[in-house]
Amino acid sequence: MTSNNQHQELLQKYAEAIVRVGLNLREGQRLIITNATARGVPPAGRALVHAVTKAAYAAGAKYVETIWGDEEMHRIRLQNAPADSFDEYPKFHVDAIMDNIKNGDALLSIYANDPDAFAGLDADRVGAMQKTHLQNYAPIGVEVGRNAINWCVVASGSPAWAAKIFPDLEPEEAEEKLWQAIFETTRATESDPVAAWMEHIQNMTKRGKYMQAKKYSALHYKAPGTDLTLGLPKGHRWISARMPAENGVEFTANMPTEEIFTLPDRHRADGTVAATFPLSYGGSLIDDFSVTFENGQIVKVNAKKNEAILQKLVDTDDGSKRLGEVALVPASSPIAKRGHLFYNTLFDENASCHIAIGRAYRFTLAGGEELDDEEFNAAGGNVSLNHVDFMIGSPQMDIDGITEDGTLEPVMRQGEWAFDV
Amino acid sequence: MDEKEFDQMLDKYADVIVNIGLGLKKDQVLFINGILEDAPFARAVAKSAYKTGAKYVDMMLTDEASARISYEYVNPEHITYHPEWVFNRYEECFKNGDAFLSIASTNPDLLEGIDSDLVSKRRKSSMEKFFPIRTKYDNNFNWCIAATATPLWAQKVFSGVPVQEAQTKLWDAIFKVCRVDQPDPVAAWTEHTDRLIKIKSYLNDKKYASLHYKAPGTDLTIGLPESHRWNAAKETYKNGTTGTPNIPTEEVFTSPHKDKVEGHVSSTMPLNLSGRLVEDFVVTFENGKVVNVTAKKGEDDIRKLIEMDEGASSLGEAALVTDSSLIKQSGILFYNTLFDENASCHLAFGDAFKDCFEGGYDLTDEEFRAAGGNKSIIHTDFMIGSAEMDIDGITADGTHEPLMRQGEWAFDV
Repeated sequence: MTSNNQHQELLQKYAEAIVRVGLNLREGQRLIITNATARGVPPAGRALVHAVTKAAYAAGAKYVETIWGDEEMHRIRLQNAPADSFDEYPKFHVDAIMDNIKNGDALLSIYANDPDAFAGLDADRVGAMQKTHLQNYAPIGVEVGRNAINWCVVASGSPAWAAKIFPDLEPEEAEEKLWQAIFETTRATESDPVAAWMEHIQNMTKRGKYMQAKKYSALHYKAPGTDLTLGLPKGHRWISARMPAENGVEFTANMPTEEIFTLPDRHRADGTVAATFPLSYGGSLIDDFSVTFENGQIVKVNAKKNEAILQKLVDTDDGSKRLGEVALVPASSPIAKRGHLFYNTLFDENASCHIAIGRAYRFTLAGGEELDDEEFNAAGGNVSLNHVDFMIGSPQMDIDGITEDGTLEPVMRQGEWAFDV
Repeated sequence: MDEKEFDQMLDKYADVIVNIGLGLKKDQVLFINGILEDAPFARAVAKSAYKTGAKYVDMMLTDEASARISYEYVNPEHITYHPEWVFNRYEECFKNGDAFLSIASTNPDLLEGIDSDLVSKRRKSSMEKFFPIRTKYDNNFNWCIAATATPLWAQKVFSGVPVQEAQTKLWDAIFKVCRVDQPDPVAAWTEHTDRLIKIKSYLNDKKYASLHYKAPGTDLTIGLPESHRWNAAKETYKNGTTGTPNIPTEEVFTSPHKDKVEGHVSSTMPLNLSGRLVEDFVVTFENGKVVNVTAKKGEDDIRKLIEMDEGASSLGEAALVTDSSLIKQSGILFYNTLFDENASCHLAFGDAFKDCFEGGYDLTDEEFRAAGGNKSIIHTDFMIGSAEMDIDGITADGTHEPLMRQGEWAFDV
């Protein structure tokens, strides 16, 4: 057990890394803190909100505001509200975030959720609520997708999340262990977290540059249950831990982050891919599933658990039948090394190679920010209300890069990088 | 009380708030605001509201600790900055005629030690944004104020008692004074509001020209507007609902004439100014205006309060509460206006209620002022009643009639 003081100290170091590296908050910026799934930070995120608020003011923030959300309230609605309830959507939190974005301010999302918040509830009702939310939230997705401002996604410990990851531990011990995992994978335990992050960012950037120089035309994935070829569009951009935002601030969008990623061509995906981790989506857990593609489109899904919810996700809109992200993560990443699931994309995606159903980030295509939806589609970029990552990597995965002339070059072997930088 | 019994009481409290307080009708949207610690009760209210047929229950929570951090860390030049979205959410509710529940469980010492200048600047800038919205949609929506026994508030009320025990005691007190502990809370509320409405009718028939208050440290005459109306316990709103906007409520109240208050009055309870306490204060009036105020604690805060705007130093409410009210009988000082105002006769600095005037909702601001109504961005109650207070009603011809003697009604209804 760490003492309370130690925990406070780590929390403050973590908050400083979030503000100084993740957001790279500039003097005079406002900061808005929220959480898309719960439509506000769940109360369990309170201690981290306080630490970040203090660190942000210390960095010269003009004003820090937090939108709070309560998953239990959403659950009560799903269980008790009349069927016509789910068209209702108070727009204030969308307006709040859009106002900050238009003003060039910073956005932080804190995960402190319950992965099973909506477990056991009617899939149609969950889907109806989710759809209204996504439709209303879409403008934020667009702005964030083009990096209009410096933004960052991080996690806080929460009792429900900790119990999900460590079901056999006492609640307090489970939460302690989760915080420890968060602090270690986000480098808050380093003596100088900011310096450690800068070094990590440099290493990741080198990998990205190597892949960028290769200009592969496609990637081929091979693993148990997986034989998949993903085309990469002309002008695809490999991105890693650091990006410039349109407001001029360089930032790190995820903490932790171990991935380098780009967009696949929405027209070119063929074969089958097996998920290697369960997918926590909108409060439900989809488990043991595979997806089959033809000409970029999902033609079949299979899941041992919650197949109906996976099918609903795929049926949300046309873009939800196609892919928007392809990301490479070595199987030896610090998150993978912990040896357990986090039931949370921010962590699990950094334990494993992954792909995303739905929207491609505009910044992953050269000139993508300037294209309208139709032009973006034509260039191979996908447009959708969704962007849902799922994990496909493992120590059994081999990946080849396919050059323009059809040559195969090893990119990963048995889950590890197959090239030096 | 074990956990299960407590949950049952919480559900009963929620039912009282939804059915008596808000008078929620089917297909209404309910908007709840409160602090993070209020969430468990807000969830109970949501369940009750859906049972009654609510279309949707939305909640906007704030965090008191974050608010204090802002005071401590923000650059003072930004202290008057308020995000627009907060006000937009209220406006959406008020404009639509949705139901509105405000949960008021403030830590009375939240802003202790913060510079009073910053506090009053921030409060003023917030009220300047909120007040026009609130006024614009006055009576458009059904609303209610309730409270939950939050840890820091409970520890203030029961100082020296361990926090969990303090919370249990405060919950017990809330359940009792809100009549939630009665076998049939709804029937108890009906009986209670019927009696308050009879008293209100008695006072309305009297059409007193003024009231005279006499108690240790108090000798005050409050003129009443010619078109004044007494109100109590029940409100009817433009959206067709009827509710009881404060739970608990023990008061019968009207508006003073803003220019006709003379004499001095002593506070009998501390005043909680959203996280800062003002104690033992004496206010002197001439021609309706405060001409002097002294306080043993928080004098600066109360001075700043009454300097908020032109109307802040005049009165907007005179309310009568007997010394035998459930709240007073609990013997608890709540440091929370929702409760303390129902333990004691009180007055309010600032804005007067439109429905305390005949046809008040149809008056323009100018007509309202001309009728003797006060306008301000604040409406702050302070307690002046006690078992030693006598109040007379003075008729148009100058006859004195006893209204209260030693803190109790001096007439039968």
